[in-house]
Amino acid sequence: MGRTLPTISQQLTETEAMLSRFRRMLRKEDQYLLDGLFAQARMHIAAIGQAESLLPFEAALLAMLLEQAKDIQLLKHEIAILHQRLER
Amino acid sequence: MKSPFSTSALSGNSGWLLDLYPGGEAGLKVWMLTDQGERLCLEMDFPVTFYAVGNFALLRQAWIHLKGRDVLLERQHQRDLFSGDLDVLAITVPRPEQVRPLYYDLAGRFPVLDFYDADIPLSLRFAARYKLYPLGHFSIDENGAISALDSPWELEPASIPLRILQLRPNSDPAQCKPTHLEVTTSKRSFRLSLQPARLFLISLRAVIRKEDPDLILTDYGDTWLFPQIEQWRTENGTSFNPNRDEGMEVHTRPGSSYFSYGQVIYRGAQSHLFGRWHIDRKNAMLFSEYGLAGVLEQARVTGLPIQEIARKSPGAGITAMQMLTALQTGVMVPVTKQQAEGRKSLGELIRADRGGLIYQPIIGTHHNVAQIDFASMYPSIIVGHNISPETGHDPHAPKGLVPQTLQPLLEKRLALKGQLLKLNKQDCRYAELKARSAALKWLLVVCFGYLGYKNARFGRIEGHEAVTGISRELMMQAKEVAEDMGFRVLHMYVDSLFVQQEGYRENEDFTPLLDAITKQTSIPILLEGVYRWLVFPPSRRDPRVPVPNRYFGAFTNGEIKARGIAVRRRDTCAFVAETQWAVLEILGQVDDPTEKYDVAMEYVREQIKVLRKGRIPPEKLVVMQKLTRELEAYRVPSPAARAAQQLVDANKEVKPGQMMRFVYTRGKPGIWALDGDKEFEMRRVDVARYRLLLERDISVLFQKKRGKSFTRAWCVERVEQLAFPFASYEYHHSISNCR
Repeated sequence: MGRTLPTISQQLTETEAMLSRFRRMLRKEDQYLLDGLFAQARMHIAAIGQAESLLPFEAALLAMLLEQAKDIQLLKHEIAILHQRLER
Repeated sequence: MKSPFSTSALSGNSGWLLDLYPGGEAGLKVWMLTDQGERLCLEMDFPVTFYAVGNFALLRQAWIHLKGRDVLLERQHQRDLFSGDLDVLAITVPRPEQVRPLYYDLAGRFPVLDFYDADIPLSLRFAARYKLYPLGHFSIDENGAISALDSPWELEPASIPLRILQLRPNSDPAQCKPTHLEVTTSKRSFRLSLQPARLFLISLRAVIRKEDPDLILTDYGDTWLFPQIEQWRTENGTSFNPNRDEGMEVHTRPGSSYFSYGQVIYRGAQSHLFGRWHIDRKNAMLFSEYGLAGVLEQARVTGLPIQEIARKSPGAGITAMQMLTALQTGVMVPVTKQQAEGRKSLGELIRADRGGLIYQPIIGTHHNVAQIDFASMYPSIIVGHNISPETGHDPHAPKGLVPQTLQPLLEKRLALKGQLLKLNKQDCRYAELKARSAALKWLLVVCFGYLGYKNARFGRIEGHEAVTGISRELMMQAKEVAEDMGFRVLHMYVDSLFVQQEGYRENEDFTPLLDAITKQTSIPILLEGVYRWLVFPPSRRDPRVPVPNRYFGAFTNGEIKARGIAVRRRDTCAFVAETQWAVLEILGQVDDPTEKYDVAMEYVREQIKVLRKGRIPPEKLVVMQKLTRELEAYRVPSPAARAAQQLVDANKEVKPGQMMRFVYTRGKPGIWALDGDKEFEMRRVDVARYRLLLERDISVLFQKKRGKSFTRAWCVERVEQLAFPFASYEYHHSISNCR
C-alpha cells in the first residue's frame, strides 16, 4: 500500500531474474540447489528487511550462510549420534 | 445563551436527536423523538462561519466582493494546525445551506486564497456547538436552550424505541423483475403486490402513514425501489412522499465508480429521506459486517447522520471525527490538504518506507501452539506515542489532534471488547455488543491508513511510517520476551505471534508470557487461542519456501481457523470450499491430524463420487472471477473473459472490475456463464476439472508425516525449515563436550 521502494521479497525475485542466465548455465541438479539457496534466503525476509541495507542481497547471502550453518550443525549432530552408537 | 429556537412550545421536552437538515423559516430543522414517544420537528437559527486566509490585498477584494450581501464579515485570529494563529476573514452566513454556493463563488474568483471550515457536514457543526451527536439524548429548557444529557462514549446508551419498517422485493431486481414487496413492521409482515402501480403506491403510502416508521430498511431501496417509485409516481400522477417532513422531496444522489486499492468499485445511487431514515442493506457499506447496531454506533461516535454513515466507508467516519476534534479545540479545518511529504535521503527512505513486520513461518505441522494478538496495536501506538501530523511524534508535545480523536474511541472499543469476553455467546446482548465493537474496530483500523492517505486532511506519511516502525520494534521486543521465556516463535504477522513451548497447552499456561509482553511493550496482548495442531503449508511453487499468513489449525475446543487457503478465497466454488472445511473439521477432532487422514480421504472420495453422479447442485459449482480488463484486450481469453463474452452475446453490459460467475463445462467454450441466456445442462459439467480443483485444494491439508525417516528426508529433500533444539549454541557445546 503506497510503498515507494520494492519490498525485500520483490528485490529477491528481481535478483533471481537477473541471475537467470547464470542459472541456465548450471547443471540441472545444481539449479535445484541454487533455488534451494534462494528458498533459504526467503526464510529470513523479515531479518533482511530489518538490516535496512542499501544492498539487501548482502544480507540475503548471510541468510543463506546461516541456513548452511544449520545444515552442517544437523549433520554434526547425526555423526555424533552415530559415533555414540558405535562406541557402545 | 440566546434562545436558538423560533418556537418555545417545545420547551421542557427531552428526547433523542433523530435527524437535522437545513430548512424551515429559521434555517435548521431538528427532529426529536421525545421520551414520551412523540416525533417533533424543531426549527432553529443556525448561522454558520467559514474562513478565508491569504494575501491581504486579495482578502480586501473578497471583502469588497461580499459587502452588501446578507453575510457578516469580520477580521479574526484563528488557529491553523500547522501554522498556528492566522489573520483570517471570517464569513458568517445566516443559513447553513448558503455556505456551499458562497464558497464555490469565492474559490472561483480568488483561487489563491486558502479556505477553511467551508465543507464541514452540518451535523458536525451541530455536534461541536451543542455537544449533541446523532441519537444523543438531550433536553430543551424553558428558554429554548439545548443541553445534551449523554455523550457518545457511554458504554450502554439507553435503548431508543425506534419504529422500523422493512421492505424487501421477492427477487433481486438486477436478475429478475420482482412481483411483490415483502413488508415487515414491528407487529406483522405481509406482501404488497407491485402491480397495478397506482394501487401499490396508495397501499405503501397508507402503510407508511399508519406505521410512521423512523427507519425504512430496504433491500435494493437505493438502486431499485425508490427510483422505481419515483417513475410510477410521475407516470400515474399519484401523490406519494415517504418523508416524514412532507415539505421535502426524496433526495437522490447518482451512483458512481471509483478506484481504491487497485480495484474498481461501484457504488449505487442513493435515496435519502428527511425526518426519517432510509437504509438500503444492499447498498450500505459493511452492513453485513456489523448490521444496524453497528451503523447506529458509528453515527453516534462520528457525528455523521445515520443515512450518511450507513453508505460511507469508515474512512469518512474517521475524517468526520477528526474534523469534530478540530472544531471543538478551535482549530480550523482546511478544505484541501496543504502539507506535502518532507524530503528524505535514500538511506532514510530505506529505513522508513516499510510496512508491518512479516516473519516467515516455519513450515510444517506444529502442536500446542498459542496465537497471541496485540489488541488494537496501531491505534494504541498512535495514542501512546502521540503520533499526529503536527506533533512530529514527540511524546512530550501537547497531545496531537489524531491521538485526541482516537483516545476515547480506543478506550470505548477496549471496554466493549472486555465486556464481550465476559459474556456468554448465547447471551441476548452478545450479538449487539459484538456488532458495536466491530463498528468501532473498523473506524480504528482505517484511522491508521488515513495517516498515510495522500488526501487525508490531517494525514502525513511520516506519521504512518512512525507507526509501522514502532510496531516492528514492539514485535521484536515481544519475540525477545517470548524467546527469553523459553518459547519458540513460529510465525509473526503484523500484530500477532504464534508461540510454542514443550509442556504448555492450557490457556493459563501462557498467561505469564502475555503479562510479560504487555509489561514490556505497554500495549495489551491477548490470547486468541491455543491450537491443538497448526499447519503452515509451504508455497505451491517451491515446497521449501514458507508463505506468511497462510495457515490452518484446530483450537483445543475443535474450532477451526484458516487463513490464505482456498476456503477463504472468493474465487473458490462452494463445493470445494465446503469439502475443504469438512475435511478440516474431521482433522480437527483429534490432537494428531494424521490419525484422521484415512477418514478424511474416505470423505473426499465420497464427495468425488457424488460429483461424478451429478448430484452436486450447480450453484455449488459456481466459480467467481474478476474481469480484469476490457474484453477486447484479452489475447488469450481467461474463463472470466469467456463468461463475459456470453453476457455480451446475451446483450448484457460488462465492465472491467465486474465479477463473472460461471460453471466449468466440457467442450467449447469451456464455461457456462450464470447471468447469460444459455440454458444450463448438468450433464455438461466438467467433472474432471472440478475433481482437479478439489484435489489441489485438499492436498494442501495433508502434510507429510514426521516419521523416523523425517530427518533423512529433510536432508535430501529439504522439505522443512530446520528449527530443532540441536541447532542451538548450547546443544552444539554439549555435543563437543561429549566427544
